[in-house]
Amino acid sequence: MNEFQEIFIKYKDLITLAVYGSAIMLIVIGLYAALVKKHLVKIVIGLSIMEAGVNLLFVAVGYIQNGTAPIFSPGNENSAAKMVDPVPQALVLTAIVIGFAVTALALSLVIRLYKHHHTANIDQIKSLKW
Amino acid sequence: MVISPVHYIVAPLLAAFAIPLLSKVYKDAARVVPGIVLFYNMIISFVLMKEVSEKGFISEVIAGWQAPWGINLVLTPFTAFLATMVSVLGFAIWLYGFRFKRTLKGGVVKYYEILQMMMIAGSIGVIITGDIFNMFVFIEIVGITAYSLTAFYRERNGAEAGFKYLFIGSLASSFLLLAILIIYTQTGTLNMAQIAERMADVPLSMKFISLIFFLVALGIEAEMFPLNGWAPDAYSQAPSPTSATFAAVVSVAGVYALVRVVFTLFDVAGVHNYLIVMGFVTMLVAEIAAISQKDLKRMLAYSSVGQVGLVLIAFGIGSELAVFGAIFLMLNHAVIKSLLFMTGSYFIYNTDDKRLVAMNGIHKKLPYVSALFSIAAFAIVGFPPFSGFWSKFYILTSAADKEMIYLIVGILLVTIIELVYYLRTVGRIYFAKEEVEAAEHKPSKNALVAMTLLTAFIIVIGIYPDLITDYLHNAAMSLLDKANYIQEVLK
Repeated sequence: MNEFQEIFIKYKDLITLAVYGSAIMLIVIGLYAALVKKHLVKIVIGLSIMEAGVNLLFVAVGYIQNGTAPIFSPGNENSAAKMVDPVPQALVLTAIVIGFAVTALALSLVIRLYKHHHTANIDQIKSLKW
Repeated sequence: MVISPVHYIVAPLLAAFAIPLLSKVYKDAARVVPGIVLFYNMIISFVLMKEVSEKGFISEVIAGWQAPWGINLVLTPFTAFLATMVSVLGFAIWLYGFRFKRTLKGGVVKYYEILQMMMIAGSIGVIITGDIFNMFVFIEIVGITAYSLTAFYRERNGAEAGFKYLFIGSLASSFLLLAILIIYTQTGTLNMAQIAERMADVPLSMKFISLIFFLVALGIEAEMFPLNGWAPDAYSQAPSPTSATFAAVVSVAGVYALVRVVFTLFDVAGVHNYLIVMGFVTMLVAEIAAISQKDLKRMLAYSSVGQVGLVLIAFGIGSELAVFGAIFLMLNHAVIKSLLFMTGSYFIYNTDDKRLVAMNGIHKKLPYVSALFSIAAFAIVGFPPFSGFWSKFYILTSAADKEMIYLIVGILLVTIIELVYYLRTVGRIYFAKEEVEAAEHKPSKNALVAMTLLTAFIIVIGIYPDLITDYLHNAAMSLLDKANYIQEVLK
C-alpha cells in the first residue's frame, strides 16, 4: 500500500464530502450563471457547468472505496461486491454526449443571434415577448 | 416478418442516417423516405394496437436482457393508443408538408425532413419506453430536434425563440437527470415498473425532492404554467408543419411523461390536487393571453397551452371517467390543433402576414380552407356535432361526479374566453371587409387530402363517439391499474 492510498483511507469522509460538495457547488454555480448572466456565451457556459455538476454527482454515487472496474476477468470472478456501480457511469457517458450536442447547438444559435442582432447581450435581444 | 415495437425507433433512425446517402442517388429522397418511414410506423402501430387489445400487454425486451436489467418497451392499451395517434398525425403532417417546403432552396429541405421525422420518432420513444433513463434520452432527442426546427428559418427570428427553448429545455434536462439520480440511489433501479414497486420503501423527503424535480422538468416539456414561456415563441417561429407537430406530437409526449411519472412511479397523496390547480392556472393564464394576441400562430399556441391545462386538470381529477376524458381530449387536441395550424398557415401563406388583421375576408380567396378552419375552431371550443364536445362533456361529468362545482364553473368560464377569440377569428374570416391584396397560393392537393382527412375524423367521431370509447376506456383502465403494469413488466 503506497502513501497515497493511506492518505485516501485516512481522510475518506472528507474526500467523499468534497466530491459531493463540489458537484452540488458546480450545479449551483452553473444555475447562477445561466439565470443571472446577460451574455449569451456565459449563459451557455453556465448550462455546461451545471451539466458537469450533475455528471459528477452521478459518478460520485456509483463510487466505492477501493473499488475495481466492473469487469469479470480471470481471478476476479467473485469480486462483484468490490466493483463500482457501472450503471451511473453508463448514464454519465450518455449524458455527456447529449450535453455535447446541446452545447454545440446552443453555440450555433448564439452565432446566429449575434449575426442577426449584432449583440450578444440578452437585454438588447427582445423582439419576442409574451 | 415479425412486427415489434422496436421498429418504431429503428426505422426512423436507419432512415435518418440513410437519407444523406440516398439523396446522392435520388434527389427527392429526403422528402419521400420520411413519408415511407412514417407510413410504416402508422401500419405497425395499427397492427400492434390490435395485438394489444387482444393480449392486453406487450413488453418487448431489447437485446435479450430481461426487464429489470435491460431496457424494455412497454405497450399497454394507453401507450399503444398514444403511439398510434402520434404516428397517424406524424404521417398526416408529412403529407401536408410534402410540397410546402419545395419553395426552399438548396439542400435545406433535407435537414428539415430528417429533423421532423426524428422528432416524431423520439416522441413515440418517450411514450413506449419502460425505462426512466431511456425516457430521458428520448426527451433529449425530441428536444434537440425541436430546438433546431424552431430556429429553422434564417430570415425569421427563429434563433431567438430557439435559444429560449434550448435554455429552458436544458435546465429541464439537468433537473430530470437529478430526479433520475435521486430515484436511482433510493431504489437501485431504472426500470419504471421496479421503481414503482420499490417506491413504498423510499423515505418521504427523498420522494418529495425527486417528485419536485420531475414535475419541474416534465412540466417544461408538457407546457405547464409557469414553465411554458418558450411555447408561444417556438410555435410561432417554427415552420408551420412543425408548429402542428409541436401541438399534436411533442406536447402529447410531454403530458404522457408527466402522467406516467405521477400515476405509476409515485404514490404521493396530494399530487393530483397539484395537477388540478396547476392545470387550471395554466389554462386560465393561457386563454387570457390568447385573447389579447394579434398574431394568429401565437393565438393558436396559447390556445394549445390552454388545452394542455385542461388535460392536466382531467388527469388530476383521477377517476376512471376523468382519465378517459383526458385521453379523449389529448386525441381531440392533437387532431384539431394540428388542423388549425395547417389551415391557419395557409392564411398566413396567402397574406404574407401573421397578424390576425390580415385574415379579414379571406374566405373569398380560400373558401375550402376557411370552412375547415371554422369547423376546427368550433370543434376545439366544444360545439356539439364535433368530437371536441365529447371530451369536454366527459371531463365536466367526471368533475360533477366528484362534486367539484368551482372547477366546473371555472372550466366553463374559460371556455367562454376560448369561444370569444375563436368566434372573433372566424367572424373576421367571413364577415370583415377584405383589406390587402396579396399573391395567391392555392393549397396543394396533398395538403388538402391531409386536412380533409383530419376534418372527416373530427366530424365522424363527433357523431359516432362509440367508435373509440371502448378502446379509450381500456386505455384509461390500463393507466390506473398500476399493479397490473408492475406485474406484467416484471413477469
